[in-house]
Amino acid sequence: MHRLVLLLRRAVDALRRGPFVTAVAVATIFVAVLLTGIFAAALGGAERLLSAWAGEVPVSVYLAPGADLEAARAAAERLAPGMRIEAVTPEEGLRRLRASLGDEASVLDGVGEGVLPAAVEARLPGMSLAQARETAARLRQVPGAAQVDFGATWLERLETLLRRGRRVGLVLLGLMTVATAVLVANTLRLAVYARRDEIEIMKFVGATDRYIGAPFLVEGVLQGLLGGALAVGALFGATSAFLPWLRAALPIAGRLSRADVLPGSLAWVLLAGGGALGLLASALSLGRFLRRV
Amino acid sequence: MIQLFHVFKQYGAEAPALSDVSLEVRKGEFVFLTGPSGAGKSTLLKLIFCAEPASSGQILVFGRNVSRIRPSGIPYLRRNIGVVFQDFKLLPERTVAENVAFPLEVRGQHPREVRGKVTQALRAVGLDHRAAKFPPVLSGGEQQRAAVARALVADPALLLADEPTGNLDLDRTFEVMALLEGANARGTTVVVATHDRGLLARHKKRVIALEGGRVASDGDSVRRAAS
Repeated sequence: MHRLVLLLRRAVDALRRGPFVTAVAVATIFVAVLLTGIFAAALGGAERLLSAWAGEVPVSVYLAPGADLEAARAAAERLAPGMRIEAVTPEEGLRRLRASLGDEASVLDGVGEGVLPAAVEARLPGMSLAQARETAARLRQVPGAAQVDFGATWLERLETLLRRGRRVGLVLLGLMTVATAVLVANTLRLAVYARRDEIEIMKFVGATDRYIGAPFLVEGVLQGLLGGALAVGALFGATSAFLPWLRAALPIAGRLSRADVLPGSLAWVLLAGGGALGLLASALSLGRFLRRV
Repeated sequence: MIQLFHVFKQYGAEAPALSDVSLEVRKGEFVFLTGPSGAGKSTLLKLIFCAEPASSGQILVFGRNVSRIRPSGIPYLRRNIGVVFQDFKLLPERTVAENVAFPLEVRGQHPREVRGKVTQALRAVGLDHRAAKFPPVLSGGEQQRAAVARALVADPALLLADEPTGNLDLDRTFEVMALLEGANARGTTVVVATHDRGLLARHKKRVIALEGGRVASDGDSVRRAAS
């Protein structure tokens, strides 16, 4: 136990003795974790928005001319239990189209009321894209169904984009981890170099590499945790400031909460990532030096 | 205690720092290693201390062939060896007591035990009243006594001193030599590298003289010549 206490004391003493190097290392890890966090939060938020969009968009079954709207509605209720089913007459369809066009509604002047097909719409707030796809497949069995649509094309395009974004993100994350580890390692090498006399004397009096290296590794972890904690704090602050603005600008983001963008699990991962980055950088900087002394 | 067989040490393309050195230091001996600057005294101590490997030849310390000791085993060999340097090698930002405690801390000894032994070691070198001071405020003699205390605090079987009195005046030299002789009297084998002929003249000990990296003489001849 006293060895652990001694180890922590040596690490904290060393941090106190080299405040400049500590500050530089913490700042580097802070920037790396913050950038990673922003990327992960943006990706997570975009995924949430995609899900919300999919949930907002109804699955529409357009009926062939002459099909029985009431029978189609009843069939839809059977095929998609638990969903809100609505029968939309051609007149109601045209009215909604006019409303959605707003000031441009005049383009519909002269269009006859029966020009749009009758339709059945199925809605479930918060429905995922997969659920929408599955529901659409089932609703194709509605008697008289001519076409089933749920905005699949653009939602799928968005989903593909996010999938690619996730892959690019992982590659960027890997590259950034290596770059930051090298950068922090070089910073910490300054700390190791500044204490070369101490290391040399420790070696002369019989200290093992593990005894010499352990406080440096603990220092690295502490610096990483500190940088990570600052980055997580900054991300919390940024999301608190940014989300109300996003909600006001984008109605679909109305239900987007801070937990959607920066969930607790992501905060812990970023914190642990900072610690791991500090540890990796310390190990890199120390290994070479100890072999040389 | 120490045995060297046909030891060579060469740095790059330069002339060998040590050339075909063979000698033996027995347990409990007090040996002066002397010779002009560049004779190879410090190099020899470094090889014994495993700070550097020999280019060829065999070195046995405590009966162990140092060339066969793995790097991870070297610290454990060093724990039986105390070293005193001409430039003291004390850490300026640590107190005298903390400097002396170093060898005990690296052995993982309990802080209470460390405190007791440090107090005892500092008392033995007459520095117990300076324990809380930092090395830069100490005189050269005091710093060297602190370095001797650090070298002896863990009660090593072997003490290597590289020009331990090189930076000291005559009175301080007497003090430090008295400490080394005291350690030797308690059973520690002591090897002192020095080019101070006066020191050899004052102390009737075995003298190994090096010249150009070779053993020029072994015995008391140099001391006689100095006298």
